[in-house]
Amino acid sequence: MRNSLIIAQRELRERLENRSFIAMLFIGPLLILAFIYFLLQFGDQGKTNMKVLIVDPSGLLENKISSQESKALNYYFYDDYVEIAEFKDGKRFQEFDAMIELNEKVLINKKVFLFYREAPSIDLKMKLKFEVERRVEEVMIEQFTQLSVNAFRQIKQPLNIDFRSVYDPKNEADNSSSWVGFFFGLIILFFISLFGMTVLRGIAKDKSNRVVELMLASVKSRDMMLGKILGIGWAALLQLFVWTLLVGLGLVIFKSFFFKDIFDASSFEGIQMSEEVKNEILTNSSIAKYNAFIDLIYHRINFWVMIPHFVLLFVLSYLFYASFFSAIGATAGTESDGQQFVIPIFVVLMVSVYAGYMSVYWPDSQLAHLFLYLPFTSSMVNLINISNGFAIGSYVETLFSILILIVCAWLFLSIAGRLYKNGILAYGHTLRLRNLFQWLKKS
Amino acid sequence: MIEINQISKSFDRKVALDELSFQIPKGQIFGLLGPNGAGKTTLIRILNQIILPDNGTIRVEGKLLNESHWKNFGYLPEERGLYKSMKVIDMLVFLAKLRGMSNYDALKNTNYWLDKFDIKEWSNKYIASLSKGMSQKVQFIAAVVHEPEYLILDEPLSGFDPINVELILNELKFMKSEGKSIILSTHNMQSVEEICDDVVLLHKSKLIASDTVENLRSSVKNGLFSIRFSGNMIALANALWTDFELLETKELGNNRFQVLVRKRGERTFEDLINNLMGKLTLEAVEEKLPSMQEVFMSLITKEEVLHAE
Repeated sequence: MRNSLIIAQRELRERLENRSFIAMLFIGPLLILAFIYFLLQFGDQGKTNMKVLIVDPSGLLENKISSQESKALNYYFYDDYVEIAEFKDGKRFQEFDAMIELNEKVLINKKVFLFYREAPSIDLKMKLKFEVERRVEEVMIEQFTQLSVNAFRQIKQPLNIDFRSVYDPKNEADNSSSWVGFFFGLIILFFISLFGMTVLRGIAKDKSNRVVELMLASVKSRDMMLGKILGIGWAALLQLFVWTLLVGLGLVIFKSFFFKDIFDASSFEGIQMSEEVKNEILTNSSIAKYNAFIDLIYHRINFWVMIPHFVLLFVLSYLFYASFFSAIGATAGTESDGQQFVIPIFVVLMVSVYAGYMSVYWPDSQLAHLFLYLPFTSSMVNLINISNGFAIGSYVETLFSILILIVCAWLFLSIAGRLYKNGILAYGHTLRLRNLFQWLKKS
Repeated sequence: MIEINQISKSFDRKVALDELSFQIPKGQIFGLLGPNGAGKTTLIRILNQIILPDNGTIRVEGKLLNESHWKNFGYLPEERGLYKSMKVIDMLVFLAKLRGMSNYDALKNTNYWLDKFDIKEWSNKYIASLSKGMSQKVQFIAAVVHEPEYLILDEPLSGFDPINVELILNELKFMKSEGKSIILSTHNMQSVEEICDDVVLLHKSKLIASDTVENLRSSVKNGLFSIRFSGNMIALANALWTDFELLETKELGNNRFQVLVRKRGERTFEDLINNLMGKLTLEAVEEKLPSMQEVFMSLITKEEVLHAE
């Protein structure tokens, strides 16, 4: 084991001295953050302030809406009919960015059209909807009902049929939590693919530059393989840690300094809203989706449970899959020869993604249960289950699944060790399944 | 002492070593000779525990060869290989640590050897930037940096210029004087003659000869004698008469000659001296032993003939 650790240290050091590894340590998260920034900054390219002409010949909104309500919106009233073509081309209307048509039919067909010259931003669209829609609604309530505005709004919500499991009537485990687990599982699969190939290429390179002969004269082949896997695994963990840290830090900075307005409901200060109305907006808009996301990330996922399981499953899955990559690297005659044999491993990794989908959408299916215990897919399914939370009794399943993964990782490392030992000194051949079986049989 | 006892090894159906038995005495430079494909590399890999024999045992100082012996063995493989992305000093320290040394000792010994070979300025160079000869030196240091008792060298002189060949040979002689055992596999027969004590000759996975260099050379001696004298060639011809055949003549000037003669029949060195005495002024007479190259060729040819029969 001492020699495995020495080899692992060398592998880690080699990566840390590799400029491209160091560059990717920082460029990776920077790219992710740049992408997120791009989405937040440029995702909404619409117009951010407008002069709106309200064509209201019947005086429906008279005294119910004013230009001061929102800094971004300036309303102007016109008490006659205006045709679209006239608004579009008429000289006197050119100064207006949009026209809202409110004729007397509005109260019957409940449809208001807003004609714009340049599409408004999502934020502005929402403000327009809020201000105009609600004012028209108030007129309608007054005209057609005996109810107060608040009473009307309480009953106006459409009936919703929500599908829920009898085992989870409160829908505590809705699949938004599952997607978090799925995302964590994807990270594991991504890093396994990336660093699994690094293991394969590293071993193939050692083999081609003949350094293995020298190494094997002072260390057992299994220890050498383990050292390689461990060292590259440490590099993977380090990269994962730095990426998580930098992306997390970046998101906090985005939220605190750059995109305060987007995420903060108080930015609607220009609009006079009751708390109730604010809440309603916050549950019925794109902001609501963000808030659900915040709620999911900060409140519903127990990261004190999630992170240790993620690290444990990451390590075990990496060891499990790395054994395959190292066996192929050691037994292949050339690096390109080995890459052919990698395809089945990637197919298995794809199956893991499918297992994730299965577990998100049909968590109680037999296939999802099977995937929980298969070592190829168990990390993904376990993370989905853990992100949903679990009862004390159901954790036994997770433990059993992890135990199977530990046993299989150990078993496949032993098998890979045997293939490594018998294949590492074979050069220039074309790898065939026959070779693998022969080397497996040899002691 | 290393005792090799009935070692056999096959790859698929090809026999690489066939019941090999011999001993490698302590404190000697031991030559492991044989043509390509004779099984030398397989035996070396077994001695280094890179592969296991199918049958037979190896004992080192009476104990069965095991992992605890790794720190006592140094190895310079024929197929040289180092991590190209590492610096010279890091590579050597890394390999010394794998052989059981502490970081401190590994660093100390590495600096000692870099100093000794006068290549301290290469310490921080990357292996990839070294020339073949430089890389060979680093590889040699890698084999000895952990102060092994047994040093196994597979073609250690290939890639070296004559100056460095001399440097390595002198180093090997020095290590021998310190009581270390060196197992040398090489096709460079001149160096075998120069530094080896005992040798074994492998051919087609079998041991065909095992003895000291001197004994092997004597065993295939071909009755050649070298004579340096002053006088004239007619007197020499009369002296040799029909007992010895004159093969080569070299005039040294002032009626001095150097000649090579071969005996006929059962004639001996004493017969030659008796024939020459009183007829010529002798300066030197010596029996010309065959070179190891000739011994090698002779033994292999003899074995081939036997095999054919």
